[in-house]
Amino acid sequence: MLNIYQYIIDYLKYAPTIIQLSWGLSAVFIFTIFSLTLYLKHLRSRLRTKERIRKVYEKKYESDLIEYLYSGNEEQEVSPEQQIIVNYLKKSSDDGLKRKLIISTLLKLRNEISGEVAIAIQNLYYQTGLINYASSKLKDKKWNVVAKAIKELTQFGIKEVHDEVILLINHPKKEVRKEIQMYLVKLFHFDGLDFLNVLKTPLSEWDQIQLLEILQNFEDQKIPDITDWLESTNNTVVLFALKLAKIYNQFAAKEEIISLLHHADQTIRIDAIDVLTNMGDFEAVTILKNDFEQRSIEEQIAFFKMMENMYDANDFTFISKYINHENFEIKVSAMKILKVINVDDSNAIKIITTDKELSKSANLIKAS
Amino acid sequence: MSESKKIILAEDNSILSLLLKFKLEKEGYKLFIAVNGKEAIQLIEENNPDLILTDIMMPFVSGLEVISHVRNKLELATPIIVFSSAGQEEMVLKAFNLGATDFMSKPFSPNELSIRIKRLLR
Repeated sequence: MLNIYQYIIDYLKYAPTIIQLSWGLSAVFIFTIFSLTLYLKHLRSRLRTKERIRKVYEKKYESDLIEYLYSGNEEQEVSPEQQIIVNYLKKSSDDGLKRKLIISTLLKLRNEISGEVAIAIQNLYYQTGLINYASSKLKDKKWNVVAKAIKELTQFGIKEVHDEVILLINHPKKEVRKEIQMYLVKLFHFDGLDFLNVLKTPLSEWDQIQLLEILQNFEDQKIPDITDWLESTNNTVVLFALKLAKIYNQFAAKEEIISLLHHADQTIRIDAIDVLTNMGDFEAVTILKNDFEQRSIEEQIAFFKMMENMYDANDFTFISKYINHENFEIKVSAMKILKVINVDDSNAIKIITTDKELSKSANLIKAS
Repeated sequence: MSESKKIILAEDNSILSLLLKFKLEKEGYKLFIAVNGKEAIQLIEENNPDLILTDIMMPFVSGLEVISHVRNKLELATPIIVFSSAGQEEMVLKAFNLGATDFMSKPFSPNELSIRIKRLLR
């Protein structure tokens, strides 16, 4: 044995450097693989143990919750049996993992149930002091902790932290801002839109769609005054207000929307044309007709789309000027309108074009 | 005293099952719980229930398949109440086409469910 050992030492000692290096590297790799295998084994066993513990506690908290929900009586706000459970859960929530499990158990049921039981779960959230953990996280430096805390408060319907939450509305992380917006609209419905008054950061298109979808689910569809938002210095707020105006037919804000036809941002001007089309506002037609030439091609297209629904016989001269416009969409819109205005004398419209496709379109429109 | 009415509950949310079991057993029903559609079909075949409560989305076999099995294979007229979530309106229509009796949209009130069960088992 000693001879073999001595032989290996001598072999390595007198071997060329490259061989020594190869053996050295092999030894390092073998050691690393061995260590990692051991670590993996340890990790897997730890995860399995954690999972086992998690399942045990989950079952325990589920039965505790059910017991809490059905052990109340009409005489007392919290029965002695309920108080025992509250105390136990309160003590358990000192531990991070257990707290997480208690919250997920409460939410697992709260998301599926409404009425008295949902209110009782919310009460338990207060009584166990879990609300304090979530509200203290609002001041955390990590954005993901803040976002998760707001989400939790939304899911439990905690309205009391409104003032603390609204302070974060211009948070640099869009994920936090999104959770705040959800919190405000889900809990305060249309009144929650007040955050638009103080929002300085952009409200993305996706956020706008999500907010509108939530708002549409409420029974009370009474929308607050949107005029301040239409005059906001935040362009995304203006765009969102225009969407609200279109969906909820905000005729009261007509004057503000008309003034947006001269807004510095082109997207806002185009959206304003679209909303005014939806409202059937003829005052806007006159304004747009007067400065049509000064407007961008996108606005001109939006205006002609407007005219397709709001033309009148006196517009013949104006529209006919654009029958040979260089933009295809304007040209087609003009032809469509003239065809309806002058349906008995469609040959009066002369289209000057060398484009075969356009001639074909014109013939189709005439024929339709 | 007459025998308790048997109800099969197919629901993969363990705590919701526990809550409904607690509530409905308190009201005198005998509850059998299945955590997926496969188990639900087995329980239905074994126990011939008076009412079936089933979630639409479940592992292995969905609520729709449970309804189809009851109506087409077992040819039973047992009332079936379907639980659906937001955004599953089309699934609910499919459930009705397959023969579901009633539906409740989650989140629902256990008291309302209890009233509907009473009405159906009258």
